[in-house]
Amino acid sequence: MTVGIFITLLAAAVQSGTPILYATLGEILTEKVGVLNLGVEGMMMVGALTGFLVSKFTGNPVLGFIAGGFSGAMLAWIHGLVCMGLQGNQIVSGLALTILGTGLANYIGTPFAGQTAPGFNPLSIPLLKGIPFFGPVLFQHDLLVYISFLIPPLMWLFFRYTRPGLELRSVGEYPEAAFSAGIRALRFRWAGVLMGGFLAGLGGAYLSLAYTHLWSSGLSAGRGWIAVALVIFAFWKPERAFLGAYFFGGVMAFQLRLQAIGTNIPSSLLLMLPYALTVAVLVFASARARGSDVPAALGVNMEPRD
Amino acid sequence: MYRFKITKRQETSIWHSCLIFFGALAISLSFGSIILALQGKPPIGGLTYLFKGAFGDLWALEDCLIKGLPIFLCSIGVAIAFRLQVWNIGAEGQFAMGSIGATWLALVFPDQPQYLLLPGMMGASMLAGALWGLIPALLKIRMRTNEIIVTLMMNYLAIYILDYLVYGPWKDPTSFGFPMTAQFSPGAILPMIGNTRLSLGLWLCIFFGIAYWVFFRFTRLGFELKASGENMKAAKYARIPYNTLVILVMVMGGALAGTAGFVESSANLNRLQPSIMAGYGYTAIVVAWIARLNPLFIALASFLLAGLRVGVEHLQLDLQVPAAFGDIMEGLILLTVLASAFFEKYRIGLRKPA
Amino acid sequence: MKKIVMLFAIAAVIGFSTFSWAGKDLKVGFVYVSPIGDAGWSYAHNQGRLAVEGMDGVTTSFAESVSEGPDSERVIMNMARRGYDIIFATSFGYMDPMLKVAGKFPKTVFMHCSGYKQAKNMGNYFGRMYQARYLSGMVAGAMSKTNKIGYVAAFPIPEVIRGINAFTLGAQAVNPKVEVRVVWTKTWYDPATEKEAAKSLLDVGADVIAQHQDSPGPQEAAQERGVYSVGYNSDMSGFAPKAHLTAPIWNWGPYYVDVVKQVRQGTWKSEAAWPGLADGIVNLAPFGPMVPKKLQERVLAKKAEIAQGKAKVFEGPIKDQQGKERIAAGNVATDKELLGMTWFVDGVIGTTQ
Repeated sequence: MTVGIFITLLAAAVQSGTPILYATLGEILTEKVGVLNLGVEGMMMVGALTGFLVSKFTGNPVLGFIAGGFSGAMLAWIHGLVCMGLQGNQIVSGLALTILGTGLANYIGTPFAGQTAPGFNPLSIPLLKGIPFFGPVLFQHDLLVYISFLIPPLMWLFFRYTRPGLELRSVGEYPEAAFSAGIRALRFRWAGVLMGGFLAGLGGAYLSLAYTHLWSSGLSAGRGWIAVALVIFAFWKPERAFLGAYFFGGVMAFQLRLQAIGTNIPSSLLLMLPYALTVAVLVFASARARGSDVPAALGVNMEPRD
Repeated sequence: MYRFKITKRQETSIWHSCLIFFGALAISLSFGSIILALQGKPPIGGLTYLFKGAFGDLWALEDCLIKGLPIFLCSIGVAIAFRLQVWNIGAEGQFAMGSIGATWLALVFPDQPQYLLLPGMMGASMLAGALWGLIPALLKIRMRTNEIIVTLMMNYLAIYILDYLVYGPWKDPTSFGFPMTAQFSPGAILPMIGNTRLSLGLWLCIFFGIAYWVFFRFTRLGFELKASGENMKAAKYARIPYNTLVILVMVMGGALAGTAGFVESSANLNRLQPSIMAGYGYTAIVVAWIARLNPLFIALASFLLAGLRVGVEHLQLDLQVPAAFGDIMEGLILLTVLASAFFEKYRIGLRKPA
Repeated sequence: MKKIVMLFAIAAVIGFSTFSWAGKDLKVGFVYVSPIGDAGWSYAHNQGRLAVEGMDGVTTSFAESVSEGPDSERVIMNMARRGYDIIFATSFGYMDPMLKVAGKFPKTVFMHCSGYKQAKNMGNYFGRMYQARYLSGMVAGAMSKTNKIGYVAAFPIPEVIRGINAFTLGAQAVNPKVEVRVVWTKTWYDPATEKEAAKSLLDVGADVIAQHQDSPGPQEAAQERGVYSVGYNSDMSGFAPKAHLTAPIWNWGPYYVDVVKQVRQGTWKSEAAWPGLADGIVNLAPFGPMVPKKLQERVLAKKAEIAQGKAKVFEGPIKDQQGKERIAAGNVATDKELLGMTWFVDGVIGTTQ
């Protein structure tokens, strides 16, 4: 009985962590090129609505999922235009993007509230699902969860072993030096920001296509902000984003299950845990002053040249 | 093929800045009217309703002022930190802690006379807000942690603490189980100015606004702060160590956001309840930035953004436009104004192909 | 010639009818706490507003996403200033702000939903949703095989607690061994979290899921696991046709239309109205095909008894979780006790904290 609950808890952690994982990976990519985009929540909301609408009207959830990603990238494009093109402050632009994205999604989505669209359903992987413990925890989910498993290793390989990956990182560290070395820094920044928005949009689309199959106002419910926090929790390392996203998803699932079993701990206190832990982890990492891959030029714009 | 040529402007005139600002505003408004038109609502008429609702009556102006007060206080709070290039985005949490501090005193000493209780509540709120600002400041200078993230996380912590208190120990037994504290005693409620619905919080705002201006204009400390923010080298030669300045700006910012929490809970809500958190702390950041950290512009921008919110309520009544329209407009205005600053600093010309 | 006569006749009818409601249109305003796109509470009230909108000589409007506190005071006040004749405010936290405004506009009729304060020009109203909850509990209790029912609850406030208690009493009436497990999500519409909460209940063995939030998230969870569910607010069978047994639902239209009629005729008086099954303000959604005919008949018979006032939901003896007797045998809970209910009946597992 208790082992069973433990397994379902971990499975739930994986599922509720997945939308956050997509968004966190996106924000890692964005911050790696030295751009801070606090508009994740807005991009997720727009991604959720677009994914839902496209799936509803075409009947094809795969198309919806991809469209959700593109809509996130479109919003990220605005951020890029304001910050990289026009030298606007990244923090303020990101906040404005959250306000705009949430507003747009709720505005356009009002007539579709509570309607359903075709989405993704659990799809067990034939052999792997039989593995004791790992099978039910990892391999009895929907397709999008499996896709999310693949992204961090790919990102890790990209940053570590490919030339564009290394160049991309150098852009986030020393944009001026990278420029001198002949790297087209601005181009990399754009790529990072757009891809980041794409992934955040996918995270949003996950909410309306797989986690649930419906649209309602405020669907994202603050998950975008959690993703921003988890980037630090993960030390800007894609492989550690797993840990952060599933931990956060797990705390949510855990507090609900604590109640279901019949214990009584005020949920507000429990919900504080991830945020307090993020601060603690950040302090711990900063105290060691290494181990975290914080991009040195994060949040700093590049002056345009003649 | 012609290409754009970007050159830095040597100087900018006030008129040029104004032109660009209003140009940005016009662009965002036209986007807004397109959105209205797409929904089949009259675009120009809609904007007219919005303006009339927000600024068309004396009482509407009063409404905008009431809603603008907390935004203003939070905004000059974060503006102080921005002057030093310290990114305090924790006004939301400091606001929450301020309201908790004020409420605590109001609940513990309900029978104290007003002249003791109100200053006490204000002190408690400033203290609580300042403390909430001090923690990220200490972490920043001791541990070199990123203040953006710490302040953001501490917003959540503060809101959950508030949640815990109003759902738990501070819940009013006569509220039929609803999450709110008991109503404050008359001594704990900020009096109104004359016959208006504006509380004495307005004088507080004016006082802090002027103090902010005097501080940066006439005091040596304010000057050093500004200089250190503009140039890290200057910070090294400043009389006061940079670390002390960081603590100072975060504590002052926290105290101001805390005061906003006091005004909102005492004058407007007369109790503490979760709906006190209306996102003022986040709006304040954008307000501070588009106002270029200038106290007069901050006041104006707070008033205008409050007006946008009030106007959208009227727009809803007149045209049944979803409330989210206000968010869209706010986002659009902020982005266009933010982007427009570029055209003040730089001149864009066309360059002939080489 | 005939056509011209017809046109005249029509014109005369139109002219006459407009004349007969001379004066002015009644303006009716609604204040909602969430967007009408929430698919739940505010949506249900907005359906009621649309019924009022359909009346002759009445125009309506609304403000959505109005947070409780100073914002709501301003919105209500502005409606009054702009000449709205009747204002409905549909959230508990609007009570004190509305009372303040009511004092300043004695000619406007104010109606507050789910509170308890009144003034000469301010009435309050709510629906006896617990009656429909009781009936839905009977269905759930009879359909459960594990004798565990999961209840995904919103916020620990009396309205929700009352609903859980009524549901549990209904379930126990047909299945004495049944227990109801409660999980609070502290959300009104976060489909993802609410679905997760339903899953956590399914994981501890519940085989029927009921809910108080506005989203169909829990319904989806039940359908995916192949168990049954009870909806809320409106007929949610579209979201989970294989799981949805029934749902206690709101139907505000008739009540709102009635209030507007009273105001127009000048017969409106401030009161604390609490209509129920008998008035059609609450009801039970159609049964799903899996509910046996015999059970349907039994539930409908009970429904008729409650509607006629022959049966009461909170009729003693009723014990709380600690076994303390809260309502003595032969007694019926008063409305005041119901409004302030903060304890769970015996058989509920969970806390009201």
